This record gives sequence, C-alpha cells and structure tokens, in this order.
Amino acid sequence: MSWTIGVDVGGTFTDFYAANDDADVFHVYKTSSTPSNPADAILNGLDAMCEKFDIPKDDIVRVSHGTTVGTNALIQRTGSRVALVTTKGFRDLLEIGRQTRPHMYDLQKDHPAPLVEREHRIELNERIGAAGEIVRAPSAEDIDAAIDEVIAAGAGACAIGFVFSFRNDEHEQKFAKALRKRAPDIAISVSSEVQPEFREYERLSTTVLNAYLQPVMWHYLETLEAGIAKRAPNASLGINQSSGGLMSVGRSREFPVRTALSGPAAGAVGAAHAARQTGRRNIIALDMGGTSADVALIRDYQIDLAFDRDVAGFPIRMPCVDVETVGAGGGSVAWFDRDGLLKAGPKSAGAYPGPACYGNGGGEPTTTDANLLLGRLSSRGLLDGDMGLNPELSREVYKPIADQLGFTPEKTAQGMLGIVIANMVRTIRTISVERGHDPRDFVLMPFGGAGPLHARDVAVSLGMKEMVVPAAPGIVCAQGLLVSDLKEDFVASRRIALDTAGLGALAETLEDLNTKALDWFKGESAPDAGRRVQLVVDARYVGQNFELAVPVAEGATLAAGDVPNIADMTAAFCAAHDQAYGYASETDPIEIVNVRLSASAKLHRFEDKPAPTADAGEPTVRDTRQVYFTEEAPVEARIYDRAEMRPGQSVTGPAVIEQMDTTTPVYPCDVAEMTPDGHLIITINPEAKL
Amino acid sequence: MSQATVELDPIRLEIIANGLRSIADECFVALMRSSYSTNIKERKDHSIAIVDKLGRLVVQAELTLPIHIASMGGLMKCVLEKFGDDIHEGDIFVANDPHTAGGTHLPDINYAMPIFIDGEIVAFICNIAHHADIGGMVPGSMAGGMSEIYQEGLRIPVVRLFNKGELQQDIMDIMLLNVRVPEERAGDHNAQIASCRLGERRFKEVVDVQGLPSVLSAFDEIISRTNKRMRDTISQIPDGEYEFNDFMDSDGIETFDIPICLKLTVKGEKIHLDFAGTSPQVKGNVNTTLNAVQASVNYALIGALDSDMPSNQGALDAVEISCEPGTILNCVFPAPVAARAHACQRVIDIVLGALSKAIPDKVIAAANGANTTAVFSGVDPRTNKPYLYFETIGGGMGARATKDGKDGVQVGITNTSNLPVESIEQEYPLRVEEYGFVEDSGGAGEFRGGMGLRRVLTPVDHECVFNGAGERFRYQPWGLFGGEAGGSGRFMIDDADGVRRLADKPNEVEVKLGTKITVETPGAGGYGKPADRASDAVSQDQSSGKFSTDYINKNYPTYGTGGQ
Repeated sequence: MSWTIGVDVGGTFTDFYAANDDADVFHVYKTSSTPSNPADAILNGLDAMCEKFDIPKDDIVRVSHGTTVGTNALIQRTGSRVALVTTKGFRDLLEIGRQTRPHMYDLQKDHPAPLVEREHRIELNERIGAAGEIVRAPSAEDIDAAIDEVIAAGAGACAIGFVFSFRNDEHEQKFAKALRKRAPDIAISVSSEVQPEFREYERLSTTVLNAYLQPVMWHYLETLEAGIAKRAPNASLGINQSSGGLMSVGRSREFPVRTALSGPAAGAVGAAHAARQTGRRNIIALDMGGTSADVALIRDYQIDLAFDRDVAGFPIRMPCVDVETVGAGGGSVAWFDRDGLLKAGPKSAGAYPGPACYGNGGGEPTTTDANLLLGRLSSRGLLDGDMGLNPELSREVYKPIADQLGFTPEKTAQGMLGIVIANMVRTIRTISVERGHDPRDFVLMPFGGAGPLHARDVAVSLGMKEMVVPAAPGIVCAQGLLVSDLKEDFVASRRIALDTAGLGALAETLEDLNTKALDWFKGESAPDAGRRVQLVVDARYVGQNFELAVPVAEGATLAAGDVPNIADMTAAFCAAHDQAYGYASETDPIEIVNVRLSASAKLHRFEDKPAPTADAGEPTVRDTRQVYFTEEAPVEARIYDRAEMRPGQSVTGPAVIEQMDTTTPVYPCDVAEMTPDGHLIITINPEAKL
Repeated sequence: MSQATVELDPIRLEIIANGLRSIADECFVALMRSSYSTNIKERKDHSIAIVDKLGRLVVQAELTLPIHIASMGGLMKCVLEKFGDDIHEGDIFVANDPHTAGGTHLPDINYAMPIFIDGEIVAFICNIAHHADIGGMVPGSMAGGMSEIYQEGLRIPVVRLFNKGELQQDIMDIMLLNVRVPEERAGDHNAQIASCRLGERRFKEVVDVQGLPSVLSAFDEIISRTNKRMRDTISQIPDGEYEFNDFMDSDGIETFDIPICLKLTVKGEKIHLDFAGTSPQVKGNVNTTLNAVQASVNYALIGALDSDMPSNQGALDAVEISCEPGTILNCVFPAPVAARAHACQRVIDIVLGALSKAIPDKVIAAANGANTTAVFSGVDPRTNKPYLYFETIGGGMGARATKDGKDGVQVGITNTSNLPVESIEQEYPLRVEEYGFVEDSGGAGEFRGGMGLRRVLTPVDHECVFNGAGERFRYQPWGLFGGEAGGSGRFMIDDADGVRRLADKPNEVEVKLGTKITVETPGAGGYGKPADRASDAVSQDQSSGKFSTDYINKNYPTYGTGGQ
C-alpha cells in the first residue's frame, strides 16, 4: 500500500489530493491557507487528512507540491537583498530593460523599479565576445574588489550575469568560485546556470529574480522538508516547476525562479491528465476562479510551453506553461467605461466582501450575481449548500445599470456574461489562433469554481463542439501535481547552421547534453522505466530574430546517431514555421540558436478503467428550476447532483449538474455523459448557432 | 451608405469592438513574427489599423505606435482619391511617399487592403512597418545631411501592388532593386502582405458572426463615442489661450535655432492649436508633414488627459490644428523628412508645455524630445556581406507632478525597444563597450527629470561608417514650475587624435579600427523647485551614483546642512 499526495497552495485554500493506486482509492481534502507561512497549512492539513481518511503516514511515498511562495515574494517584493555583479559598462542594464514604457499613452505608469539598487550593482572589468572568445579576463585584484563590494552591500544573495556568458561561462564561474570561498553564506545565482540563453537583459532579469528568491525559498523549503520528514519519513518531496514538471527540493533551492508559475502549471498538468483519461488529445484548458481565468493549450497530451513570460512585471526567460491570464472571474465587476461601453473586470470584488449575493456588503454587480439572477447558479450556492446566496441582493446591484441601459436586470446580466465570455474568447485566441492553432481542432476543458458555468458560450464562440468537465474541477491543480513527471531542461545556446558541418556540431552538443541528463537521472534516483529525453532545437531562418522550438528526436536516451538528417530537420522546421506564421521556405538557410534536451522521468502509472456498463440510464433528478440559457426566456431545467451520477449515465439539457466545487449548466439538447474516470463529456448540440 | 444601420446597445458594441481589437492585435503579432527586419521583430516598429470605407480610423492594435496613426489616415485619403471606384477585391495598395501618398517618412512602408463583402467594400485593413533601409544616399535612409526627399530613398506613390489578387511583380522588382539588402526587405514585404490577408480573413469571420449591418454600425458608434469622450475631456481643461515656444537645434545642414511656436485655445469642448510663427521648412530632414503633427498632438492630449481613450478618428476629429503650408510642421515637396520624429517629439513637448498653464498636475516637463538615431554600416569581415545596424535610443522622460521622470526610456510618439547587446554583436561586427545612464543628465527639481542614455560602440576587425541624428543636443529639455533643464545629448568620437565631439547630425563618419563612437541622448527636465525636493530623494540621487557631488551641491545647496 503506497500513497502519493498532491498539495496545491492557493490564495484561499490549500487543496490535497491523495491517491492509492494499488487499491484504486483517492481522497480530496481542503483546508484554509496560511499565507504568513504556507507550510503550516500543508503540515497541519496533512495530519488532518491522514487522520480523517485513515492514511498511514509511513505509507506515503511521495508528496508533490505546487508553491506560490516565490510568486508572492515577487508580487509583494518581500525577497532578499541582492547584489548584482555584471560586466563593466552594463550596471544600468537591469534598470534600462528594453527602454520601453509599459503603456503607450500613460505618462504616469512605469515598469516596476529593479530589484537591485544601483549602488548594489557592481561592475567587473571582464568581457567575453560574440564567439565566446575572451576579450578581457578579469584580474584577481578586480575580482577581490568586487567581492568586497558584494560583502559590503550586506546582500543575502548575489546574482552574477556577464555579457555572452551563455557562450563561455569561464568568467562567471571564476567569480562565483571566488565569492563562494570568501562569503560562503551568500546565496549565488549564476546566469549561465540559471538560463544559458542569449539576450542579456532577459537572462540578467531571470538571474536576479532567482537570487532574490533564493533565501526566501531556502527558508521555506527547510521548514517544509523537515516537517514532512518528521511525519512521513518514507516520502520524497517534489516541487512543481513553471514548466509543469517536478524537481527535487535541492534543485528548487538552487533555482527558485522556476517555481514562479508553479500554480497555473499544475492546473495545466492536471488538465493534460484528464485529457489522456478521456482520450482527447487536444485541449484548451480554461481555469476560471474568483478574480481571473487562466487559459492554456494542450496538444497531443503535451502542455504548450513559452520561453518568455513576465511575472510581477519582470521578464523571466525559461520554459513556462504558455498560460495567459485574463481578469475574468466570479467576482469580476461590471462597469461603464467613459465612452459608455459596458465592461467586465479586471476589477474584482475579491473574496471579501465578494459578490453582492454573498450578503457581506458587496455593492457592485459581479459575474456571480449575474449567474445567480439567471438561475444558472443555485441560491444554495457552492460547497453543497454551505453558503446561501441571495438573488435579491444581486437584482438590487444590477438594477442601476439595467435602468441605464433600459433593460431588465436579467437581460443586463446576460449582457455582462456575454462580455466576460468575449474577454475569455479573446484570450484563448491569443494562445491558439495567434500561435497558429485552430480552436475548432480542440476540446474545451473548463475547471476551477467558475469555469464550467461559462464554458459553453466560450466553446460556441470559438466553433468548438465538445467540452470535458473534469471529475473534480476544483482540485485539478492538486491532481495535476500527483501525476507530474520529474522534469529538467538542459540547454546549450550556440549558433549552428543547418548544414553538414552543423549536424556534426549538433551531434556533439547532443552528446554533451545527454551526459548531463544521465547524471541528472542518476542524481534524482529516477526510475529506469519512465526515463525519456527529447531533443528540441530553437531554430529560425538566417536573419530572423525569433526562434521556433522544433522537437526533432525523442527516446529513452539519445546519442549522436539520433540526430536526424538535414532534409528531415528542414521539413520539421518548415512545418512549424508554416503552422506559426503561415508560410515557409524550403530553400532559405536555417540556423539553430539553442539546443535543448528535455529530460523527464515518469513517477505515476496510468491505468485504464473498465468501460461502464452499457445503458446505465439517467441519474435521478434532484430538483427543477427556471434557468436562462439564452437571452429570450428562462426554461425549466432539471437539477442533478454530480455525486450521484455513475459512469455511463448521461443527461440531456436543459439541465444543471451541481457538485461541491462547481456548477455545470447543460444547454438544451446538449448531452453530458460521465466517463469511467468520472469526467463529464458534453457534446454541444450540433444545431447550436456556430 | 447602402447598408442599413442597426441600433447597438453598449453590450453588443463592446463585444464587436473586442472582436475588432482582437483582429488588429493578431495581425500585429503575425507581422512581427514573420518579418525579417530587426526593427520590426525585436523593436516592434510597426502598426496595424482597421479603417472604414471612408478612410476613417476605427481600431488600432494595442501596440500601434502613436506616430503611425498619421500615415494610416494619410494613406487611406490618397488611396480613395486616386482609385475611388476602381478598387477591387484582392487588390493591395502600397505607398510610402510623404508628399503624394500620406506617408510621414520613406522607410515606413504602408499597406492597405480593401475588404469586400458581397461585392462591396466595407473596410480596409492597413499596416505600416519601418524597413531597415529604403535606399537613398545613406544606408538606413535616416541620417542627417539630406536636403531633398530624393536623397532619402525610393519614393513610392500609392500603387496597386496586387491587382485582383495578382502580384504586380514589376512593382515589387522596382521596390527591391532600390533598397539595400533586398532579400531581407522582400521578407518584410511578404510579412506585410500576409498580415493584410490574415486581417481580411478574420474580419470576414467577425462579420459572419455579428452580421455586416451591426459591424458597420459599430464603426460609427466607436468613432462617435470616442469623439464625444474626447470633447468631454477637452471641456475639462479651463478655457483660455495658452502659448508656448521652443527651438529645435538645427536641420543638420544650414539652419540653426528653429522656432516652433504654439498658441493653444480651449473654449468649452473645442480645442484649437495654432502653430503660427513656426519656422519655414528647412533644407535638412527634420521637416514633417501635417498628418504627423496631428498624430503628435493626439498623443500629447490623450497622454495628459485620458490615457485609456481609444485612439481613433473620433479623437483626431475633436482637435483643430492650423499650420501654414511650407513650414517645418507642414512641409511641402521637395522637403526631406526622414528625421521627422525629432519635430514630432518637439511638438509633444510644447503641447504639454502650453497645457502646463491650464492643467499643471497632468503634464510632464520636457522629455529627451528627440529620436536619437545611430546607424553603423560596412562590410562584415566574417561573411564579406554588407551590413546595416540602425537603432533609435531613448533618453530621459520629463518629471511629473508627483514623481521623477523615468530614466532611459523611449518617450512620446515612439516606444520601440532596444536591440540586445548580444544580438548586435552576433549579427554585426561591432562591440558595445558601454550602455548606461549619463551622469547628471536629469534636470533637478522637486521631482527630477529622467536620465539620458550612453552607448559606446567600436567596430571589430574592420572599418565602418557612422551616421546619426540628434536633437536637444543644444536646446536642453526644459523644466516646469522651477524645475531645472535636463542635460543635452551629443555624439563623440575617440580615436588616435583623442576625444572629439561630432556634429549633432553627423553624416558618413569613417570609423577606424580601435575608434570608439559614443552616443549620449538627452535627459529630461525637472518639475517644481529643487529646494522642495525631499531630502531622502536627494540622498538617493547621490547614493545611486546617478548624480555627482558637484551636481548635488549646486542644485541642492542646503542638502546635508540640515536645511531640508
């Protein structure tokens, strides 16, 4: 009997998902988060859950954790004091950034101030050239003097970022070594280790963020690791990265910046897992909560990654789930813009006072109020009736804007939802259409408390025909953590022409990277069976300045001989270019700028559930009520309890399926069927206006 | 107007407007990603707009550059005048000429494609991209010293590049033969064409869902509501006449101390900007056409008054501008205009300067007021191929009523990003020795002005040529309400003969091996009296090393004496 546990720490709740695959049992548990020290909720929650479900703690083999400690420290600027050592002539680079304003017309808005004060940005007289050649080596005296300054700055961490260090890390390493020797207590982030890729500002920014988080994360992980070791001595602890894979505690201490998007990444992994269980290869994940919605693409069961994201206004250049966030959630507020257009969000009523219908004094019309007015949401509310909602309060707050429009409150509420949906559609277009993917080839997967409530109109607006609502939409993130692989990316930034000589260089690079991957597998004690490496090249036409990540080889391990020939590589690149930009040339010269080896080790077994018995019939109707599915008029909808639905059973709309963590309206003539894993597959009525 | 109009409620209107913005943004990304010019890819020096069949600007991409508004409208006016009824499905028009085709300078190539529904034109999708070269006497087509438009590159009147879907290869051949590095420019043209076609496809999808009458009604509504918003905003400015004058340094050839004068009159919801007294057009290429002035005024007003306002025809139409033809702000053929951004930036400064007397809390002091340009060209010894590296470098932003101006940033009508040093050195045989702030360049004040930028470059293993253009290299960016002026910019050369200052608009400077070229951009003016600056702010000015002790002692004499 062995248990694995996923723990996702959110702003309001800490969610647990515990699974015992041998016995095919799982449990879900929720407790309030403890923002001042998130480890408290995790450790106390773990105790409480094990007691409640009678889980022997010695049987826990793994705890996988998605953390927002890093993200919050960045947003609240509560990280450590950092000193930066950089190439002579470039101390201001961190502050100049890309020399742009964050808003074209706003004369008052600036990018956030840099995390390192100018007086703590220290220059070293060294220089590496574009080909990796040493232009100026740093003298021992200069290194010593710079270390003096780092120490004098009183910094808890030091970021080291030199120009062209991704080509040649000799100077960075030399300085790091000298610093470590003289000041062993200062945490060190070296740009050629954090992310050895070109574009000095983004690399520097990523490295500084890493240094900024090191002491905070160090402290947090120490508490957490000790607490877990004490309770569950046989458990290994894995931390989720922004790219949607786990890393060890050791690596998280070294590279905390990799957890900056840990939360949304877990959601995407959970969605990918549900995709696999339902056999839907291509998914658009829509995770909608109280204040915002995250959307991400899953293609062929794989999460789409992006390599240049912003967190709290700072660029981070490393693989992250390609998730876009839009200010559309249950608490989003409706308001009139100055030119009289109705807008929804990004302002949110938050958790408190929350939407007006909560009765906590919220005075503004929100998305949740609109759903309640329209009967889409039960007045018993979420959480299985724990929280009563008052539709009269919703009506009151919608009345002023309804009067202004000359509409009924219901029609106004429909309009508000229409705008929320348009905002989400626009964001989904950003991650699909703008990246060359047609949403009609995808299935929509709504989750989070508010996702399923709004998904149907989103799907229809995008021409999608099917939706999958996961079994437990409120804890997809915690579930995702449980099924995550161990993951690590190895990258070499070098320009390689796609020709015969280039192939030789690529093969050599691959061998290097593969050796690193093997060392890593060994270091992380990854099981042999689930090891996988994928060779990805970031390539472009010569003269272009944007790269496309093109996977070219994959296997349990890769050797020089696995590099494909020029024709195959060209074809793969051209296909990717055509997909992304709508054209490709077979004859224009191509070059590679980064070579990446993504290594992963599977920790979780996937097993197919038996097919449900045929003709399982309809579940029991729990209630009926009047629900607005379209603008015109409400219709009587049957209400079902999802907990009572069995695999194979189906429901035809108009209906509403309610459960503890979400509400799913089934539109007239749409059909919702439950799969063996408890997911709902909703087929959109083909007559629906597309 | 053959289509019936429909009544749209604010909800439906928001949803349609959202769909149109989404089209413009998608076309923007598509153009950026598939182009070849570093200018476009890394620096986003391009724009997208949807225009109605009358040529009115309806929606722009979010990242559209304020200056490009001008050419969109200008181009459309010329397309409609020249081709009128002779526009067909599948046509694509291209142009760049400021004097005959509504452009603002030659490197900005404008595209417009009509969108037909059921055989009738309903809209145009337009884009503009700044090509790294458009021919002419100087690589990059942007340097100082040029005295007539012919020297600045290939002039393209409004021509039909695609005739009913058919590429007129002859026209493309002429365009490419006349530019440097034609292979790359061909890639940029292809990206612009693909972006037009994408916009057409997406627009038709929106019409399919929303219905044509609703979309067309939305055009009118978007424009009229923005127009009302702009007029409401103007009415919040106290009525009165506000004057402001400033001088530009030079035209780079023969004229110095070029006056730019403004009398701004506000009455109710009307605003009138009269540039009487402004210099006649000059021989050097700092002239600008009137539509670029209109874009600059639009920028200054929106920036000061209501920065979330949609920028479309409705905003432009609410403002009245008078400016004599033949002056530097309304130049006529054959005036050269390549460096028109300098004049545009100055217009923004003086509009804000005039408004400072009416709405002191909303304006900022003079910014770097320039579009400092540096162009290096030569033959790359690694490949034996010619190269051209062009960049505009930001500077100080003017101090604000409640905080310091931002250091080292693009201001006004431009917001292009810098090119990473690691890109420059990989792509061109150049080395960047230094990239940082210019000490003491922010003007002192209760809130200080932003700092200028310094870049030092040197050629690697070869000799190259440097061209540049700077403004506010003599006339410093002024402060407001007692704030001091910011530092001026300069170009310098450091070779065997020592360090010397170059001309402010240097032309074809030979750069030998071991020679360094320094570009220093202007800082910006301060806001409020230096005596009112908080002592911890002064303390930070000093501890950050951005300001010298001499500067602190001179501008804040009581600091450190317990006087503050």
